[in-house]
Amino acid sequence: MEILFAIIIGVLYAAGIYMILRRSLVKLIIGIILLGNGANLLIFLLGRISEGAPPIIPEESKVFLEAYADPVPQALILTAIVISFGLQSFAIILVKRAHKVVKTDDLDEMNATDEDS
Amino acid sequence: MTQQLILYPLLLQLLLSILLMFFWYRINAQRVISILGSILHLGLTIFVFSFIWNNGTQTLQAGSWEAPFGITFIADSLAITLVLLTAIAGLAVSIFSSSAMIPDRLRFGYFPIFHFLLLGLNGAFLTGDIFNLYVWFEIIIISSFVLITLGGEKAQLEGAVKYFTLNFLASMIFLTAIAVLYGLTGSLNMADLAIKVSEIENRALVQITAVLFLIGFGIKAAVFPLYFWLPASYHTPPSAVSAIFGGLLTKVGVYALIRVFSLIFVGDAFLDEILLVIAILTLFSGGVGALVQNNIKKVFSYLIICHIGYMILGLGMFTEVAIAGAIFYLIHDIIVKTNLFMVSGLIYRIKGSSSMRALGGFYSNYPKLSLLIFIPLFSLVGIPPLSGFWPKISLITASFDTQSYWGLAGIIFASFITLVVIAKLWAEVFWKNPGEIPKRKKFDYFHKMGKYRKLGFVVPIVFLSFVSLYIGFGAENIQILSSRVAQELMDKQLYIDAVFNNAQNPK
Amino acid sequence: MLTAILLGFLFALFLVFAGKFFKGKLAVVSSIIPLSLFIYFASFIPRISSGEVIRRTYEWVPSFGVNLGFSLDGLSLLFSLMITGIGFLVYVYTSTYLKNHQYLDRFYAYLSVFMGAMLGLVLSDNIISMFVFWELTSISSFFLIGFNNTSEASRKSALTALGITGFGGFSLLAGALLLGSMAGTYSITEMLSMKEALAGHEFYILAVIFIFGAAFTKSAQFPFHFWLPGAMKAPTPVSTYLHSATMVKAGVYLLMRFTPVLGDTNFWNTTLISVGAITMLYSAVHTLFRTDLKGVLAYSTISALGILVFLIGLGSQGAFLAAAVFIIVHALYKATLFLVTGVIDLQSGTRNVTVLAGLRKVMMPVAVAGILAAISSAGIPPSIGFLGKELTYEASTHSTGLVIVIVAAIVLTKILLLYAGFVAGIKPFTGKLPEKFSEVKMPGPLMWVPPLLLAILGIVFGIFPALIESSLVKPVVTALSKDASDIHLALWHGFNTVLILSIITIVVGILLYLFLKPSEKLENRIGKLEPVSPESILKKLTYFFAVFSKFWTNVFQNGYLRNYVTTIVLFLVILVGYIFIGNSRLVIDHTQLSQITAYELAVTIILIGGVFYTVFTRSRIGAVAAMGVVGLAICLLFVFYSAPDLAMTQFSIDTLTVILFVLVLYRLPKYLVLSDYKMRIRDGILSLTFGGLISLLALQVLAEPVNSDIGDFYAKNAYLMAHGKNVVNVILVDFRGTDTLIEISVLAIAAIGVYGLLKLRVKSSDRPN
Repeated sequence: MEILFAIIIGVLYAAGIYMILRRSLVKLIIGIILLGNGANLLIFLLGRISEGAPPIIPEESKVFLEAYADPVPQALILTAIVISFGLQSFAIILVKRAHKVVKTDDLDEMNATDEDS
Repeated sequence: MTQQLILYPLLLQLLLSILLMFFWYRINAQRVISILGSILHLGLTIFVFSFIWNNGTQTLQAGSWEAPFGITFIADSLAITLVLLTAIAGLAVSIFSSSAMIPDRLRFGYFPIFHFLLLGLNGAFLTGDIFNLYVWFEIIIISSFVLITLGGEKAQLEGAVKYFTLNFLASMIFLTAIAVLYGLTGSLNMADLAIKVSEIENRALVQITAVLFLIGFGIKAAVFPLYFWLPASYHTPPSAVSAIFGGLLTKVGVYALIRVFSLIFVGDAFLDEILLVIAILTLFSGGVGALVQNNIKKVFSYLIICHIGYMILGLGMFTEVAIAGAIFYLIHDIIVKTNLFMVSGLIYRIKGSSSMRALGGFYSNYPKLSLLIFIPLFSLVGIPPLSGFWPKISLITASFDTQSYWGLAGIIFASFITLVVIAKLWAEVFWKNPGEIPKRKKFDYFHKMGKYRKLGFVVPIVFLSFVSLYIGFGAENIQILSSRVAQELMDKQLYIDAVFNNAQNPK
Repeated sequence: MLTAILLGFLFALFLVFAGKFFKGKLAVVSSIIPLSLFIYFASFIPRISSGEVIRRTYEWVPSFGVNLGFSLDGLSLLFSLMITGIGFLVYVYTSTYLKNHQYLDRFYAYLSVFMGAMLGLVLSDNIISMFVFWELTSISSFFLIGFNNTSEASRKSALTALGITGFGGFSLLAGALLLGSMAGTYSITEMLSMKEALAGHEFYILAVIFIFGAAFTKSAQFPFHFWLPGAMKAPTPVSTYLHSATMVKAGVYLLMRFTPVLGDTNFWNTTLISVGAITMLYSAVHTLFRTDLKGVLAYSTISALGILVFLIGLGSQGAFLAAAVFIIVHALYKATLFLVTGVIDLQSGTRNVTVLAGLRKVMMPVAVAGILAAISSAGIPPSIGFLGKELTYEASTHSTGLVIVIVAAIVLTKILLLYAGFVAGIKPFTGKLPEKFSEVKMPGPLMWVPPLLLAILGIVFGIFPALIESSLVKPVVTALSKDASDIHLALWHGFNTVLILSIITIVVGILLYLFLKPSEKLENRIGKLEPVSPESILKKLTYFFAVFSKFWTNVFQNGYLRNYVTTIVLFLVILVGYIFIGNSRLVIDHTQLSQITAYELAVTIILIGGVFYTVFTRSRIGAVAAMGVVGLAICLLFVFYSAPDLAMTQFSIDTLTVILFVLVLYRLPKYLVLSDYKMRIRDGILSLTFGGLISLLALQVLAEPVNSDIGDFYAKNAYLMAHGKNVVNVILVDFRGTDTLIEISVLAIAAIGVYGLLKLRVKSSDRPN
């Protein structure tokens, strides 16, 4: 399964970058979201995955009795997901404003600030 | 008591941000709170700084969970120096903002976000946990996103889209690097990582991880060939925002690079080589970029890039002398770059333009002000004995010691270009007769402002100019500090011991 | 001694604040400063001439090994006296020359800074502090050349001069630091004892090249000479003080100072002789073709500097003696000629030597000064110039190597310099006074006394060389580590080769002056050679460099976000790929990997399918929906692999994002196909490589041993110490609670930002763009 996971992650990273490389603002946002998902999954995978052993201590016990999944990556991902959400929602609004002000969806037309002035 | 000392700067900034949110529409109250808070913050950090100077590195385990299990905060000389510089630059920009920012922006949460940004900076400097560093980075970039877009003008938004995308990319690469590092070591505490990474046998994987960090932080530090977001966006927001960005944001990237490459990924010839090449190309690209610009803010933007090269060069050469040079330069650069963006804001307020071609006549019209501006400008060039000169002694000496002649060439090239660029700027903006600048209606010209508002522009520039002068003329003290930082950085065991043996030597 | 140096700076600082009161004649009072300094330094003459070296050391930045170590020996004494003495006269002169100038105070401030810096330079024993003062002279020169800052030519010349000398400055810094690390000290005195070791050091040549770089740029040696004629845009007192008598001699000073440390090697001597000879001849020839008085003087100054460099290169006792005398000679006559030129310029309104004539009738004392200076410059007895020339010839004829060539070069130069001196000092005053100059008035005494004084000194020293022999000249030779006891200066050396050469020089020179009149035609003729002059070549190089800079900058900063991302990703791919290829330990340990079940495979296919649909669909809503599906599939993966909390969060966030997306962006226009086929292929390849590398990296990491100490600790203590059963939650709120706190702040800031973006519109009148 790890191989499949690795492929999924690779696909998400690739798709994310590919979408960021497009000229459309909307695709840019989609790319960012995909990339974020890829990074989260990578943390998940590299923290070593295990099936059916959530890191929750059983009701009747005070310590784990059997193998459990590493809780740390999960905590990290939770933080990362929430942060990404904050950034993404900001980005969505930014894109909306940019589209309204610059009046184009085409990123190639947004290069006034790089020109000599 | 002393344990928590290093958290106080963080808590104070957090408190300020929250307090300021309660005064959402009362911008005068916000101004006062921000300035007073910043003064308090400066006083506090000076106190913490002197405490650490006398008592050595301090650590704090958040929630009292022993390292490496909890999140460690650690204030060594480097961290606390940067916190202090943040406080100095923060105070200056806070005063400057209160005059320079138009009320509209202040009504939309400028000050709270500004203090959140400072919070993030302080946190990034003080944390000893790599994931926590990521989180602080996120608070920094989200605050900077908000600050850069605040106002929503066309140029701002265009710049912001690039700024956002590339910084987000940087964060993702950083996150990827953390994932790999955790996968390899199962740890997040930087001191713990320093031990565990050195034990990994598969050095290629370590190198790859290091490269990921290098690129993630490199984007933020704006090194070649990753700096694109900076010239695209730094000149678009109001000068107060550019000032804090120009002075501090890229420096967090530099700080992270220094930290990671002196603690976790040490002694890898390949990585040092890459750092050197990057540094030299950064010096070059930033220099030639500055040479061709006409907008003074853009000139300064490219000079930021150029001078990042010095610090990376010091890191790449990785001798004690070289690191001391890099640290000295970092100290000098934070102050002078912050100041220069405020200067550019002042010039803009006076004439309503930032174009070198159009500007002129400052010297005859504002002789005293010109003389004042002379200080940061020529400190930047490093006209001895002003502040930019001293670190070059260390850097050049180190380049002879390590026989990196390309590095030497880079230093001389960059110094020369800076000299030419600033001299040109001086000749254009201060000497020549001004061109025709159309008078703008409804524009808040400097000469129409009240006395106190004018002071708000000038006082922070004077303040930072004096700091620059101190760095230049009191170079001895700064060098002692830089050497101490360099010593601590070169001996990573000190850091590791500070984190793990805190219980044994309580102080 | 520190006070003496700082006096100039302090005075400048005083002027910054009290400049308003500094007007008109009052300025003359300020000349007390250089005068008192002159007297102060003159008081050292007895001690120095008895062989003493006076040292003072003040701590400055000991951690760098930089101190303000000053040492006053014969060499620095000579320069200090020149700096303060000529400085005094220039101060006096300026007070009339710029009498009603608006920025007189600034001028004096710059001048004082310059004087202080120059004194610091010649007195420093520590090479780093010497560099500090060196740079200060460059900067003050920049401000002085650009003093008429509204004129574009003036600004350009200031920039050129700063560019060239600034470059030299960095060369000096590099050289100083290299020497410092070679010798282990920055003190020149301490280096004296390591001469052998330094000369044998592997970096000797490099260090010398750096020092030469500094000296040649500052002292305007070929091919860096062209900034000096440009610097003549400065007011005449500046040209007198900086660009003939003192600052340009800093390079010469540097070479002399380092002669006992680095000199006496083949490389040192040959380079100096060649560069000096080329410079002196090249610019002496140039003087023939100038019509601007200051142009003539500028080129003859360069030529004189060339002679000095050449003499230092000869390296014999006689050559140093000649150099010491010639420095005095040149300072006296050249300063006079410049001051005279200033008077002529100010009173008659022109410096064009083709029209100037007969001015003696209206300004006799000035004419006397000019003519006396010309005589000294020509080396006609009984001026001190004659002595200087004799000594120079003496040293040349006793040189080793190609004596004939050397002697020919120096004689030719001297002939041409005689011409230049006559043109500048005699031509304007002789002949018939043109009608238009009949109204020209005599200047005030403060303007004609200084040049006259200097000119007379030139004659007095010639007649009584004993005045300077043991007080000034011998100590210089001693300072250069040569025995000076047998030196005896006298006008009459007997009838010998040198005298014959002198006679030839004078006769030919005067003939040249009589038959070749400066004219515009000649000037135009040399103008044709301009395209191949070092100046034009450098200009072209600068231009090309500017074009290249623009190209380089715009190639990278091209305005297209996708190109930026491409560059960054490409950089990453290359670096990571390189390491992968270089270290092929590509092992995937199958035994450690878990089996693939059917439903996992199904989820994977859905997920990848969703990604592909998102990427390739033309419908925006379709893309967003597919993205939602991808998010849900990730949820499922989290559920399968023991992360229920993650699944919950992912689910809610995913849903929120999709809703936000649809709500906010549904009004945007349809997707356009914006990039062409090729572009998409290129991006596709790059993206896939990047994704592939990440996959590969992930698998590699998985093959490494696991270390789960920390996770275990959390699991063990979650309930026992933190009283929670869901370990993930415990980590979030307790073990790593700080993260969560900041995370919440991030959301708050994002909310403020969104609010601002939606509501705030700054009126465009306040800011342009």
